[in-house]
Amino acid sequence: MKSPHRIRIITNNPLVVTVLSEYYTIEYYEGIGYRDILVKVRDLVYSGYELLTHPLAGSVKPNETMFKSIVVGTDMKAVEIEHCNLMMNAIITCDKFKPRNVTYSDYHIKDFQLIDYTLLCGALDFDAIAGLSKANINSY
Amino acid sequence: MKLELGFIKINDVQFSNECAVKDGILYVNPEDVKAFVYDNDDVKSYIKSINFDIAKPGESVRITPVKDVIEPRVKVEGPGGIFPGVIAKVDTVGSGRTHVLKGAAIVTAGKIVGFQEGIIDMSGEGAKYTPFSKTLNLVMVAEPVEGTKQHDYERAVRFAGLRAATFVGALGKDVEPDEVKSFETYGIMEGAKLFPELPRVGYVHMLQTQGLLHDTYVYGVDAKRIVATLINPTETMDGAILSGNCVSATDKNTTYHHLNNPVVAELFEEHGKSLNYVCNIITNENVYLADKQRGSDWAAKLAKLLDLDAVIISEEGFGNPDADLIMNCTKQEKQGIKTVLITDEYAGCDGKSQSLADSDPLADAVVTAGNANMEVVLPPMDKVIGMLDYVDYCSGGHAGSLRPDGSIEAELQIITGATNEMGFNCMSAR
Repeated sequence: MKSPHRIRIITNNPLVVTVLSEYYTIEYYEGIGYRDILVKVRDLVYSGYELLTHPLAGSVKPNETMFKSIVVGTDMKAVEIEHCNLMMNAIITCDKFKPRNVTYSDYHIKDFQLIDYTLLCGALDFDAIAGLSKANINSY
Repeated sequence: MKLELGFIKINDVQFSNECAVKDGILYVNPEDVKAFVYDNDDVKSYIKSINFDIAKPGESVRITPVKDVIEPRVKVEGPGGIFPGVIAKVDTVGSGRTHVLKGAAIVTAGKIVGFQEGIIDMSGEGAKYTPFSKTLNLVMVAEPVEGTKQHDYERAVRFAGLRAATFVGALGKDVEPDEVKSFETYGIMEGAKLFPELPRVGYVHMLQTQGLLHDTYVYGVDAKRIVATLINPTETMDGAILSGNCVSATDKNTTYHHLNNPVVAELFEEHGKSLNYVCNIITNENVYLADKQRGSDWAAKLAKLLDLDAVIISEEGFGNPDADLIMNCTKQEKQGIKTVLITDEYAGCDGKSQSLADSDPLADAVVTAGNANMEVVLPPMDKVIGMLDYVDYCSGGHAGSLRPDGSIEAELQIITGATNEMGFNCMSAR
């Protein structure tokens, strides 16, 4: 597990909050979309916060999943142009995908939450399965 | 390291009371395969049922959702066994002799998550875009035990598919192959002496390694946990690299792709003629940016250590791996090693949008494997192996993708292997 110091997770995924808030600093934005999270992180990166995970993690497409979690630093530093470009390109990429107009069931939504959570856990070297068990989540 | 591949040409697959390969026909007793598949704790614990079906080229059959495709192979000489570290012991493979049931494939199908994807059509418009419309497919549809968690089920189905392929592959052990081909790479000094005038070329093979349903295994190790390392190309022909990647059907590398990597095949074709094929460098596609930097730094360091003149770099997946692709490219180019990249595109339905999520002027030699956003209409099929419940929900699908008559209107990315970034597909510029 990566050190919880000097990092924070920007997310709209409630599963991330349920399992990881015991370990990490989390900024949770309930009900906002995938693109909105990208924009929030872009603004942080433009202000000089370090980007620590790739904004387009996962092969589940931006018009498919509604959940996104991104890790950034907690200290304001010099603006990193490469990270600004990464965020800008992520938003351009997101906008290429047409809306799907699909209504998801709770079952689908939970699966999307789970995938976003496990991608984040992979980045943080956090044991995703142990985390679910400890949080008494058995039916995802 | 030298490996002989003995190709046994399979012209038909039939269910039978016996299991055998005779006169180019693969006879399979599904109960025998099932018994071998179930002789595993994960399969027993998490898979409620398994059903086998056969799909042949030209038939009006749709297989969906597809998890993996595996070619049946068996080791007949030399150390180790197929799928080392998972099915066989972890001995180093890639030398001796291996038999291949050419033309046959094991396809694993069934849902893992609610948006499970991947379609193989055996005829019609969709068949043009997947290489697995041309193989004789033994399809294994699995159902989970109720309450099974996704990660346990993914692992169980992965093992089940590999076990089925191992069982079927073993039927070719004592069969005389129709063709034998030999593949050999040399030590650094030996190769340089043999081919002093030829450019030294390597293959940077990027592996999908992001998390649940996005993983690849090397000798049984989750490749997220590796730093870039070297592997003999012949090791990949014996199943040293396995797919645990169940998303992005269009551009994931199935286990079949890893066994039949077209970059490896093409480099061997030119080995000793126009180039000296030195080795493969495997590296990962992690989510943490520092991991990306480490992975691409190490791949570049290894290429320099091997005095390579050029590398081919293949990507797997969409979005996040674009960053790894460009990092790998620029770091190699900046130390004087020429690069050619293989990727696919998400360029919008009309193909006019920016294709990748990252780019660099040094990436000036790029081969595209096609635009995954291209729209296709797949006609209805007489028979569906698996289930159509997920079509609207998976990548490339949308509300109404599955029409009442059973036809499907979707983006190309819904089809298994359509824009595979090793170039193993039907849309390359070849």
